[in-house]
Amino acid sequence: MIPGTTGPAAGIPAPPLDGPGARTRGGDHGPGWSGQHAELADEVTTALAGSLNLRRTVLRLVDLLRPRFADWVLVVLADHRLGRLSLHGGTDPTSTDSVARNPAEDLGVGRVLRSGQGELLHVAPDSPTTDGLDSLIPHDALRAQAVDLRPADVLGVPLTARGSTIGVLVLLRGGDRGFPAEDIALAERIAGRAATALDSARLYEDRSRVASVLQAGLRPPSLPRIPGMRIAAGFRAAADHSDISGDFYDVHGHGDDWLLALGDVCGKGVEAAVLNGRARQSIRTAVHFDRSPAVVLGALNSALYDDGDARFVTAVCTRVRPGADGGAEVTVAVAGHPPPIVLRADGTVEELAARGIVAGVRPTATYTEVKDTLAAGDTLLMFTDGIYEARGARGFYGMDRLTRLLPVYAGAGPEAVCEAVEQDVVEYLAGRPHDDMALFAVFCGR
Amino acid sequence: MPGGFPDTPGAPDPAARFDDALGRVDADAAVEVVDGLLDAGADPLGVLVDVIAAGLRRIGERWQRAEWTVAQEHAATAVAVVATRAVARRAERVPATRGQVVVACAEREWHALPATIIACALRTAGWRTTLLGAATPARRLSQYLHDLGPDAVAVSCSVLGSLPATRHFIEAGTAAGIPVLVGGAAFGPDPVRALALGATAWAPDARAAVTAVAGLPAVVPTAPPLPQAVAAEQAALALAHDRLAADLRVRWSPTARVVGTPPLDGVDGVVGSVVDQALHAISAVLLTGDTRALSWTADWAEALLAARGADPALVTELGDLLTAALPEFPLALDLVERHWDRGLTTSGHLPT
Repeated sequence: MIPGTTGPAAGIPAPPLDGPGARTRGGDHGPGWSGQHAELADEVTTALAGSLNLRRTVLRLVDLLRPRFADWVLVVLADHRLGRLSLHGGTDPTSTDSVARNPAEDLGVGRVLRSGQGELLHVAPDSPTTDGLDSLIPHDALRAQAVDLRPADVLGVPLTARGSTIGVLVLLRGGDRGFPAEDIALAERIAGRAATALDSARLYEDRSRVASVLQAGLRPPSLPRIPGMRIAAGFRAAADHSDISGDFYDVHGHGDDWLLALGDVCGKGVEAAVLNGRARQSIRTAVHFDRSPAVVLGALNSALYDDGDARFVTAVCTRVRPGADGGAEVTVAVAGHPPPIVLRADGTVEELAARGIVAGVRPTATYTEVKDTLAAGDTLLMFTDGIYEARGARGFYGMDRLTRLLPVYAGAGPEAVCEAVEQDVVEYLAGRPHDDMALFAVFCGR
Repeated sequence: MPGGFPDTPGAPDPAARFDDALGRVDADAAVEVVDGLLDAGADPLGVLVDVIAAGLRRIGERWQRAEWTVAQEHAATAVAVVATRAVARRAERVPATRGQVVVACAEREWHALPATIIACALRTAGWRTTLLGAATPARRLSQYLHDLGPDAVAVSCSVLGSLPATRHFIEAGTAAGIPVLVGGAAFGPDPVRALALGATAWAPDARAAVTAVAGLPAVVPTAPPLPQAVAAEQAALALAHDRLAADLRVRWSPTARVVGTPPLDGVDGVVGSVVDQALHAISAVLLTGDTRALSWTADWAEALLAARGADPALVTELGDLLTAALPEFPLALDLVERHWDRGLTTSGHLPT
């Protein structure tokens, strides 16, 4: 129920007739206006269920209510974290601003927030002051918009969800139309439904903010430009909506000495991603002291083992030293991981004969290095088991299919190779679930 | 030259030099053309549309005419990607004064570059953009829509086979009240397919996309459901796609009838593309009601086969095979019978 607070004793001056108010004024809703929004509360429920984003939810609410139910709509939400009130809507439904909460505490907005009870402001048509609107519209520019509409009634209904009043829905009707009792009741019903959606969106946004900050270091990195070389990567998480997984790739170094790493931690999802972050950090630190792939993998092994975690990591490290002739010297070591494939400029496909134990299961491990020379136009491709173990209608994708696919992409560059493999594997899967997949290619040449 | 590029006396036109760089798979040369134009004050949008996107279109035409293999097409496209990044690096310096747009390709769409160009064009115009890559699952798009709450979604769709997944993107966007702008070759030359799929707006190129995004409403209603009968038949057809395609490949006889010089790309590969494309065209017509997608696909197949020395009458044969293969799909069968070879030169009807 709305305890009818009778609005400012003084009213509001009429705006100039040719002012902006004349244009933005609510339309002529005609007879039976009130009857036309019987289904509005249901529409609010359905429409607001479509988004978990707070801004989009507010936009949609404002869009539903204006001009059908009110001429001007403002959604006031309490931000407890910052001690502010965020204000959404007004004449421009996309506009957003915020004000400090304290000054508004003793105004209508503050009362509605604390009491969970709505307030109705009747505006006397010929009164000379606008002060009364402060109560529900604690913002100068927004209040000016409201004044232009020559409001008859300003209604503030609580947005109460799950036992808390999280905001105030401010509705305004201009001209000579106020809010009759049945419309006030409907406004309260609408606000109740909207509040649940807004509160869910607020909760989601809080979680999403935390998650995105924590995930920032776990996302695939952006790749640097290496003089004389081109590098490219492909990445697809098993959870197809996610940007993090148990597969990783990274590149470290500068000038003419680089280390490219790609790996796969056991497990899936967030738990795997956290271990992935540790593995990447260990590699990053190890590379700081020595870029030899065997040393880096040895350090990764010890660091993971010392963590006392029973899980393990497979990885491949490739040190790339571009030469003056357009080629590069590469040194490779692997820890329980499929060795890289070299796609020569002439289309020959070679698997480098690197072998080594997975990292993280023995106190110490020694890795052996394999050397190779890349000529201009050669591509070295590293990949995780999600590629060849992709399971389609005809079983595993397999290494054979991968090596048969590659020759035509000789010399085409690392982007083309990664894209071709990713496309072939995903089309082979034809929508079936898959493991995390990562590809990392380095190409000699421009 | 459209776009008003500054003239360097004696130098070949930038678009021609760019095409040349694509042909030689010379990323440095391609970047040099783009940087040269931008340094001379060219409009970045013009560079994107008239140089890079135009070059990309010619890459596709060269494959279609059997002048290039798929691998050459990929390699040249990678060069165009590198050139687009050069424009994007400068676009990053433009202050982001407008809202946010998520740009994406739906599943089965592997042509990521047109989306990259759109994202770069919007960024140049002051929008904050988030680019999701090729073949993005609808769940991933939804995740981004909930996390970011953007002002719009822009979807690039080049292949007919991705239109059903693009429809899922339209549902994901509009269900959240977010307007969805679509564009790309799969939509044809006008907004018919786009609007049939429930998109908010359609744009024929990056320049039009920049204009269109600025005019989108803040909130849109959820796209209405597609007619139940066609949606159900299209879904059944998608489930049966692999079986139907394998069967058609076996029965169709182009490999045996290839005449003239051996084609640059395997005819087998083209057979696969044509069969897939024919089935995807049927799906596209079911979902959009635009029957041109089917007759134009037959024309395209005819040109593709002719360029590879095969008898264009094979397209009529494929139509017959499709008719025989689709008894469980009455709506699709009717479409093939009425629209497949309507435009074929071999059947005497030239497309208008």
